[in-house]
Amino acid sequence: MNNLKILLHLPKRSGYIFVVLFFLSFFSFLSFSQEVFAADAPVEAAKEAASPGIELPQFEAGQPPATATQTAEGQPAAEAGTATAAVEEEEVGPVQYRAFFGIDSRVIVWIVSELHLMFAAFVLGVPIFAVIVEIVGFKGGDIKYDKMAKEFTKLLSAAFATTASLGGLLGFCLYGLYPEFMGHMTNVFAPTMYVYALMFFGEAFTLYGYYYSWEILKGTAFKKWFHIMLGVMLNLFGTGLMFITNSWATYMMSPAGVVPATGKLLSLSHAIYNPLWMPVNIHRLIANVCFGGFVVGAYAAVKFLGSKSEEEKAHYDWMGYVGNFIGVGALIPLPFAGYWLGREVYSTSPVMGNIMMGGAFSWTFIIQAILIGMLFIGVNYYLWLGMGRIRGSERYTKFFKYLIFVIFMCFAVWLTPHNLPLSGEERAMIGEQYHPFSKYFGVMAAKNAVVNLIILATFFSFLIYRRSNKGEMVPFSEQGKAGKIGIFSAVIFCLLMLVSYAISLNFVELEANVKVFVKPIICALYIQSFAICLAAFLTFKNKGKLGQALLFAVTACIAVLYFWYYGFQVMQKANLVLRYLSVTQVSIVMSCLIMNAIIDIFMFRKAKLVGGIEWGKMPVRSQYALLLLCVVIVILMGLMGFIRSGLRMDWHIYGILQDTSQGAYTPSLAYMGRIVGLIVALFLGLVAFVFWLAGLGDKKEKAKEHEYGEVTSSYED
Amino acid sequence: MAKKRSKFLMIWVITAVVCLFLFLKYASPKIFQVLMAKDHTMPTPSTLMMWYMIMGVLAGLVYATTSNQKFADFLGFLLPGGGPIIKILLQKMLFVGFPVLVGWFVYSWSIPGAASPVELRIQHPTLPQEFEKRENPFRQTDAETQRKCIEEGKILFQTYCRPCHGSKADGNGPFANSFRLRPINFQDPGTIATVVDNYLFWRIKEGGPGLPSESTPWDSAMPSWKDDLKDDEIWKIIMGEYDTAGVMPRQREKLE
Repeated sequence: MNNLKILLHLPKRSGYIFVVLFFLSFFSFLSFSQEVFAADAPVEAAKEAASPGIELPQFEAGQPPATATQTAEGQPAAEAGTATAAVEEEEVGPVQYRAFFGIDSRVIVWIVSELHLMFAAFVLGVPIFAVIVEIVGFKGGDIKYDKMAKEFTKLLSAAFATTASLGGLLGFCLYGLYPEFMGHMTNVFAPTMYVYALMFFGEAFTLYGYYYSWEILKGTAFKKWFHIMLGVMLNLFGTGLMFITNSWATYMMSPAGVVPATGKLLSLSHAIYNPLWMPVNIHRLIANVCFGGFVVGAYAAVKFLGSKSEEEKAHYDWMGYVGNFIGVGALIPLPFAGYWLGREVYSTSPVMGNIMMGGAFSWTFIIQAILIGMLFIGVNYYLWLGMGRIRGSERYTKFFKYLIFVIFMCFAVWLTPHNLPLSGEERAMIGEQYHPFSKYFGVMAAKNAVVNLIILATFFSFLIYRRSNKGEMVPFSEQGKAGKIGIFSAVIFCLLMLVSYAISLNFVELEANVKVFVKPIICALYIQSFAICLAAFLTFKNKGKLGQALLFAVTACIAVLYFWYYGFQVMQKANLVLRYLSVTQVSIVMSCLIMNAIIDIFMFRKAKLVGGIEWGKMPVRSQYALLLLCVVIVILMGLMGFIRSGLRMDWHIYGILQDTSQGAYTPSLAYMGRIVGLIVALFLGLVAFVFWLAGLGDKKEKAKEHEYGEVTSSYED
Repeated sequence: MAKKRSKFLMIWVITAVVCLFLFLKYASPKIFQVLMAKDHTMPTPSTLMMWYMIMGVLAGLVYATTSNQKFADFLGFLLPGGGPIIKILLQKMLFVGFPVLVGWFVYSWSIPGAASPVELRIQHPTLPQEFEKRENPFRQTDAETQRKCIEEGKILFQTYCRPCHGSKADGNGPFANSFRLRPINFQDPGTIATVVDNYLFWRIKEGGPGLPSESTPWDSAMPSWKDDLKDDEIWKIIMGEYDTAGVMPRQREKLE
């Protein structure tokens, strides 16, 4: 109960955080404005002296550490000799870095940019599913979906202003504290910045239009479709904004379209479409939905914990379920997108790849593994608890222990590092570098195998959850045309995905001795295709459950067991084949998920209901599971943000513009932990405050309704 | 039967956790000794032991709380009241055993000891920029020249590297036992097969003394060969080394 009180009072406490942030932004503005007013003339003079256009100052790779003139403003030049010369140097010399009231500039930028990113992730992720939920409500005629979509959007509009404010603060910080770096970025990306600003207007107009026209655009189908179109436009603007900013961020990691030695711009399109742009776009797009889903789930959990009526509890229980469902839906493809991004990082620079997976950042990936494991456990735990509110679920609870066993075993493998922390004595006893646990569990072949098994287990949890309420089935042969068309379409889709990839693998350009290793992969794709057809055939013969079980078994055997073993072989002999192996693994697992989900939908379509779902009848610990999921995803985003940015080591723009500031070092794990912890606390505090603000209007409306009710009843009396 | 078991849920969970501990502590070192044909056991490292045990306890708690009924059964075991004599006996054992266990943990953690600290290790210290762009000049030559280089490299490997790394590049050279940390087994797919060959070029050229500060704690006894071997010789050794170990270097991928 005390915890509940603390949670409920959280919004009040976050006011202090808001005040701190306000002061931070105020001081940042002061710092920036001082520079602007004081250094206007010299900067103008320097601009005139510099060549116009897009020719940039020379940034040599391996540039020596900055001299005193470069490191910080206001410091006398070492070679100047006299005080007068120092002053002159200070006035005319370009400023490379500025300090933030004695605080490391990088930490300030780190905190502000990460907070901005977290809010932006929420603002970009939520509209995607808000519109989908609205469409579901509209097509299905269920008003509660529409109400929930509106509630999502209410949170969105409250968070949007904070995102914009943080974005402004980030811009000020970057231009104020890293003027030379931002000069380079502006020279390369100036045209995209105008597009960004225009799209921002578009997003603001569509967002507020979408929210405030909700009630107005009700009544007719045309009006509702128009409203949905506004939501779609909002998503398009939001995604466009993200893609533009992603091009700036990824350019810093894998610059393209410029002359490396001089930084001269050759092609803006190449600078935008740099090697990491699309992998980051896809990864962030999915991660934003996942992030939004879990944050909404936590919002619903807090509301559930504070609910006073059964009706309110039922509503927020359902909302929490939807948030969790969205979060887990996006979480499943996320490791695949992450793997693609990681592989492209390695392709961009083997050094960066090694730093990431085997070098200075390898331990952050162990933390990441723990967090991802917690997400999957939290999601499954919530689903299992949720089955308690469904009559008929008792038939499936026997599977829990097996699922727990599989998931925790996979988690154990997932977080086992290749390099174990060992004491000298342990090292002497083991007698070699690798303990068998780390040798066989610590490499990517094992990690890929277990993450696929976790995904399959989570999907299985979801299947038994949705079956809990369903009783006797109608035989598939009596399901009508819809079922047959549905299954047939799924088979065609999966076969297209698997067979087309298998055929394309026949034509990959590899040396003969390496290409031999592709053949088993092609074979695996054909076996899975056959299993898909067999599952469909069994479904048509009214043995859908057997078909599903068979597909699960074949998928687990190929994608988990065989590829775990084969991954070692490929690593050893033909690492170039790894990329085809991982894509095959993903395709096989995805085909299993798609096919089994479609079979399940049509198999249980007209099944008798065993009993209803008693929304609101959830144990309190399930809501804490939702809160945990939110906290974990926020920490995960903070951590991954650090990794993505930190991989550049001491470069602003990798290989082109070196970071010569005092802060150009890779932080230790402990330091990183403290800063990421602070960011997470700030974000959660701010988001609680913003949601509290968003709820103020409701309170007023409720109070009015209450007052109106009292007055009406007194008249009636 | 099912009802009887649910009343003893806490005991079942504790038993499962204890079994996990016994497996990690006693069974797995023996199993790995047999499987890997070692003349000594392979004890589970303390860090892994701790992680796996935490997960075991967590798994037990998750299972015990998946439904209100299970949770009530789990905690209900501690409540006084009726039940068979075995339950009362187990309850008393639990009430005595749990504080003793906690006390033992506290005692073993706080007792002064002389064990060396557990060290975090980084597998691949950061390759310096000047080595990133280097490419093996012999990889682009015709097959005949490459074969010749591999043969030359193998001879050089046997001359300079065999004493520590072994004639089969399996880390079993005549000097291997004299190091506190044995040389790496290059046949293991998780070692040189995971890095590009210019990474090896850097490691051979600069050796242990050339490792960057961020790679510490690191106790590589690898000498620096830059004063003894020419660059061409190092490239050939790398080719010979991969061939001897029967693995391929990680190859640069084309960007999509």
